[in-house]
Amino acid sequence: MRPTFLPSLIVLAALLLCGCDAPVDHYPPNELYSLVVSTREMVSTQVAADDTTAVVEAWFGTPVQPRWPADQMSGSAAKALVRLDNLERAAGRVYADQDDLHFGLYNEHCVTCHGVSGGGNGPASLLQNPYPRDFRAGVFKWKSTARNARPTRDDLIKILQHGAAGSAMPTFRLIPEQDLEALVDYVIFLSVRGQFERELISGAVQELEYDEARPSDGLSLMSIVGGDEESEALSFARETLDRITDGWARADDAVIQVPPETVADAASIQRGREWFHSPKALCSGCHGQDGDHPLALQTNYDDWTTEFTSRIGITPSDREAVRPFRSAGALRPRIIVPRKLSDGVFRGGDDPQTVYRRLVTGIDGTPMPAVNVSDQPSATGLTSDQIWDIVHYVRSLGESE
Amino acid sequence: MAEPNLSEQQTSDAPDDSLHDSQPSVAVDPRSKLLHRLAVLSVCLVWPLIWVGGLVTTYDAGMAVPDWPGTYGYNLLLYPISTWLSGPFDLFIEHGHRLLGAVVGLLAIVMVIAAFRREDRRWVIGLTVTILLAVISQGVLGGVRVLLGDRTFAMIHGCFGPVVFSLCCVAAVVTSRSWWDRRHLPSAVPSQKPIGMSLLAFATVPTLLSYTQLVLGAQLRHVQPLTTPGTFTLIVAIHIVTAFGLWLLTPILFLLVRRCGDLTLSRPAGWLIWFVGAQILLGTGTWIVNYGWPGILEFLPFGEGYLVRSKGFIDSIIVTAHVAVGSLILATSVVIGVQVLRQRFLHQRSLAVLV
Repeated sequence: MRPTFLPSLIVLAALLLCGCDAPVDHYPPNELYSLVVSTREMVSTQVAADDTTAVVEAWFGTPVQPRWPADQMSGSAAKALVRLDNLERAAGRVYADQDDLHFGLYNEHCVTCHGVSGGGNGPASLLQNPYPRDFRAGVFKWKSTARNARPTRDDLIKILQHGAAGSAMPTFRLIPEQDLEALVDYVIFLSVRGQFERELISGAVQELEYDEARPSDGLSLMSIVGGDEESEALSFARETLDRITDGWARADDAVIQVPPETVADAASIQRGREWFHSPKALCSGCHGQDGDHPLALQTNYDDWTTEFTSRIGITPSDREAVRPFRSAGALRPRIIVPRKLSDGVFRGGDDPQTVYRRLVTGIDGTPMPAVNVSDQPSATGLTSDQIWDIVHYVRSLGESE
Repeated sequence: MAEPNLSEQQTSDAPDDSLHDSQPSVAVDPRSKLLHRLAVLSVCLVWPLIWVGGLVTTYDAGMAVPDWPGTYGYNLLLYPISTWLSGPFDLFIEHGHRLLGAVVGLLAIVMVIAAFRREDRRWVIGLTVTILLAVISQGVLGGVRVLLGDRTFAMIHGCFGPVVFSLCCVAAVVTSRSWWDRRHLPSAVPSQKPIGMSLLAFATVPTLLSYTQLVLGAQLRHVQPLTTPGTFTLIVAIHIVTAFGLWLLTPILFLLVRRCGDLTLSRPAGWLIWFVGAQILLGTGTWIVNYGWPGILEFLPFGEGYLVRSKGFIDSIIVTAHVAVGSLILATSVVIGVQVLRQRFLHQRSLAVLV
């Protein structure tokens, strides 16, 4: 082989390895969740998953031309949840016009980590710790709302503006506000789309009698694609979509109200230290004495991992058992380690109100629990003043560092 | 650069040898100073061009101008300068990249003309023609990337730029005074070691590895949305291992070529050690500003709260510097390879003269 041919061969091999820049015509289906449902229900989900993909594409469009299925929703707030022009700006190929208006924003800023369908499994995801967020479950860590509630638009804007220090999530502070609004719309879109896809797969098996074969016409998801307005499957799909979008539309109502902050003096910090180590809060059980020695429990995984492992009877560390789920798109299970508070790094924000909310709601999708809040001092719960003491103490740990 | 081409030099070098050795005070310089100056100028223009091109990709500004070869309907050279300078940054660097590319294209044409008029060595004339064709191809590749909006072409465009830069560096070297002045007679300097085939083969390895690195880096930089995490991780792993492999190789190469006793060989080989070392640091920096503090560097105290900034200027410069130094490493490797080839040729010719 002559050396002069080698560069060409290297380029060719690299192209074969990574593929050409063919436009992504379809959102990749959620094969992982399909396999989870199949394993959990002990039934084949192949047909259900295929039909779900057809319905989801008919209602939500493609990465090149996304669609917001307002015509399938009943609530006006849900219909106005995202703007179609923002979705079109965020989707598709990357380019900019003479007025510096950027298009293809999701591909420009997000897709390498979060993936085309927002599954948190983009090309660079495996090398990140923590893994990028999988939007498809509708679960978000950094938000101001109650546990299991959706985040508000402001929450999503804030995480884009502030980033998450100590992770790969950047701050997009230098990106114009209108671009961030478009990205937030697209993230909500991907999340609603992903939730809808998941619930349709499980609903097809549990409610619509899907198994290895497609059910009768009225129950078949394909009746939706065929335009059958009377089918039971269509009613089920619309109810599912309404329930999902309603959760997003009501996010503002689920914001945790924070009582006025108490005085952050040395006495408050000292009291906070005592609560921190007390059985009522038991923060030190995971974060260690003075938040300096986090305990890396081998059984602690986030919810995105437990969904395809321990919740369906699979040990996360069992490589053989996990292998089919990895092939279906799951990332390698990785234990979740509590924050070392003495570093003073709070990924979801370090202002007092945010830390207060973190204590009273915990962190969605993780083992971080919420403390019991009580109006009066009690044996099991903490009052808001006592929680403020913990907030002052926790924030002082980073300052002393 | 093929060896048979270099052997053509034998005819043109021969009269120069006699002049140089017997009558140094009245020696006629057979080389074209103009061509050399043009070649050096091309090196000085193409490396900044690579910087600007790298910045275009870093800022995702490749599609800031949707048409080609014009700019928003204007002829490239007639686009209003005030609109260009006061417009968006993306437009500024993309249009600037095109303008600088056009200047390099004109320079390549002038180099060909100068070579035909002033240069006797046919292979050097061929080299200038190759540079012109390469510059044209590179421009067309950039245009196709814009017209098709295809990032694969952006990647090929990015991989071909360093080749153009290397060709310009070779042109600058083969038209230089040191290329002409170097005469090697083994009997005169007995401590010098001849260059065998093994050293010649060894000297080509940095070129191959550094180009492999460029292609791998381009794969990471222009990664496709549907590339699997496993593939991406594999490319990163190969990229890192190859980088350290290349770095280990460079001091060995330096020691081997230093024995030849020629500064034109040992100097660039010494630079290469520093370039690759700096490149590894820049690569680490590139990862950090793109994907955060890596777990492997957790032991360092200041990484815990590191916050990645999208489109930060300093961050972009680090990423772009990684691209530009990659080209510099390739060009240096190519120059070393060419110099080793030259040295071997001179040595063999000297032996033939003695026999």
